[in-house]
Amino acid sequence: MKKNKSAPKGMYIEILRYSFKAACKSIGHDKWINFLTILSVSIGLTILCAFVLINANMNSALQKWAQSFGVVVYLSEDISRDAEGALEEHFLKDNDIEEVNYISKDQAAEEIKKTLGQHAVILDVFNESPLPSSFELKLRSKFLDPARVREKAAQMQKLEGVQEVQYGEKWLSSLSTIAKTLKICSIVFGTAIFIAVTFITYSTIKIFLHRRRDEIETLKLLGASRSFIRLPFLIEGLFIGTLGGALSSLGILASYSFIMYKMVEFLPAMKFIMSSLPSSIYVVVPFGGAVMSLLGSFIAIGKIRY
Amino acid sequence: MILFSDVSKRYDKKPVLNSISLIIKKGELLFITGPSGAGKTTMLKLIYCSERPDSGHITVSDWEVSKLGQSEIPELRRNIGIIFQDFKLLTNRTVFDNVALALSIHGMNQGKIRHYVNEALEEVKLLDKASLYPQFLSGGEQQRVVIARAMVSKPVVLLADEPTGDLDVENAKTIMELFSKINGKGTTVLIATHDENLFRNSGHRVVHINDHYIEKEYVG
Ligand SMILES: Nc1ncnc2c1ncn2[C@@H]1O[C@H](COP(=O)(O)OP(=O)(O)OP(=O)(O)O)[C@@H](O)[C@H]1O
Ligand SMILES: [Mg+2]
Repeated sequence: MKKNKSAPKGMYIEILRYSFKAACKSIGHDKWINFLTILSVSIGLTILCAFVLINANMNSALQKWAQSFGVVVYLSEDISRDAEGALEEHFLKDNDIEEVNYISKDQAAEEIKKTLGQHAVILDVFNESPLPSSFELKLRSKFLDPARVREKAAQMQKLEGVQEVQYGEKWLSSLSTIAKTLKICSIVFGTAIFIAVTFITYSTIKIFLHRRRDEIETLKLLGASRSFIRLPFLIEGLFIGTLGGALSSLGILASYSFIMYKMVEFLPAMKFIMSSLPSSIYVVVPFGGAVMSLLGSFIAIGKIRY
Repeated sequence: MILFSDVSKRYDKKPVLNSISLIIKKGELLFITGPSGAGKTTMLKLIYCSERPDSGHITVSDWEVSKLGQSEIPELRRNIGIIFQDFKLLTNRTVFDNVALALSIHGMNQGKIRHYVNEALEEVKLLDKASLYPQFLSGGEQQRVVIARAMVSKPVVLLADEPTGDLDVENAKTIMELFSKINGKGTTVLIATHDENLFRNSGHRVVHINDHYIEKEYVG
């Protein structure tokens, strides 16, 4: 007696071909259940995608907004030109600061005159501008976190010639709360949809497995390897996920076009929220669907014991 | 070679086989007989590792079956042709596809599969029924499909569990002739049966199991 241990050439290709055929047969045989599964997967992915897109756009909007609340560093009355120059140098060198604007006493006075309008005469009682000179700084966008801004402001406060540091603390903390809530929501929601899509495929594959349990039993007795038994189901799962994802990306494109060309007329704010539709979704969404469905199928098949 | 050494098997504490030792030579044709419930099917199941012994060792060729890991079982089974007592034919596949399945799991290409399946169906005289579904075949025909499936991959060992179940004498004779032919090509054949007509005057070894033991061994 001899063992046929060595795998002949082309064996894996033949097994793959067999599995593809079996998967196609099953897809063709159970058109409706497969169609409904694909539809459910695509709806799940569309919701997830819409959420991610809105979230990403809102986040970048929030960051831009947060950035616009600069930090204003008021300088001491008696500060020398040299000290001012040194401070400017210091700010320019700081990597956390994106933009530095110097506002002299006179410029500040001009500003306030403009604001006061006809009441500007009250300023005439001062023979010199009553406002200190200042630096308006724009921090890099990562400074959405109020604690970090507070820390930065405290550091600046200690610098020579600095009288006071102001920043929109209240605004910043509420923006940061919104951003944090968004983040938590996306994690919770994203996980929920991930599980849902995985579960949809899981249950469909479970049904197929149950229906074909006699066949699987016979295959095991005849000596089919685990991958031989698994592959048709995995391919079917892959098909469901990929097609669901493709359908979903088309759905997203359609809704995006609809919003951009129709809704914007009535709701211009939409344009701000839906500012971008990255073309990578045509790859990422089907791929994501494939991964989730594959995972679902894999869990559904579970351990194969002989 | 198949070797049982001091093999015991219980189902839920109920003993079925007790300290069975048996050597089956390569190329031998052997009958296992005994009353219903004696443990004939169980012995075959132990060989293809569908059941594990509670104690003792079983060796098939180079496989230490009683120690085989889960991932090694398929390879063992691919080298054993099994004729199941309950057939295990798939009703959603044609006769041809049922037989072809035993080759598909080997990763054989379509052309070769067609060749070997036709050859096997020819052997059991069922070529004209290849495109039918097994449930529309007679008992004897179904039995022959199972035989074709078991022999199509040219296994080193053929296990036949009650292969003449409730067939008439004529059909039983045809099937026995087929086994002799397969055995003549060097395949070790094990037939579990309670049909004395099969082994009477056959000239092959008969192992009689009763009351969990090998009660007697003789040449039929
Ligand atoms: N999976 C199982 N669980 C519990 N008991 C079992 C199991 N399989 C078999 N048995 C019992 O073990 C004993 C032997 O069964 P086995 O099928 O080996 O008998 P057999 O000799 O093949 O009988 P028959 O001639 O009727 O086919 C029987 O009493 C049966 O009820
Ligand atoms: Mg039996």
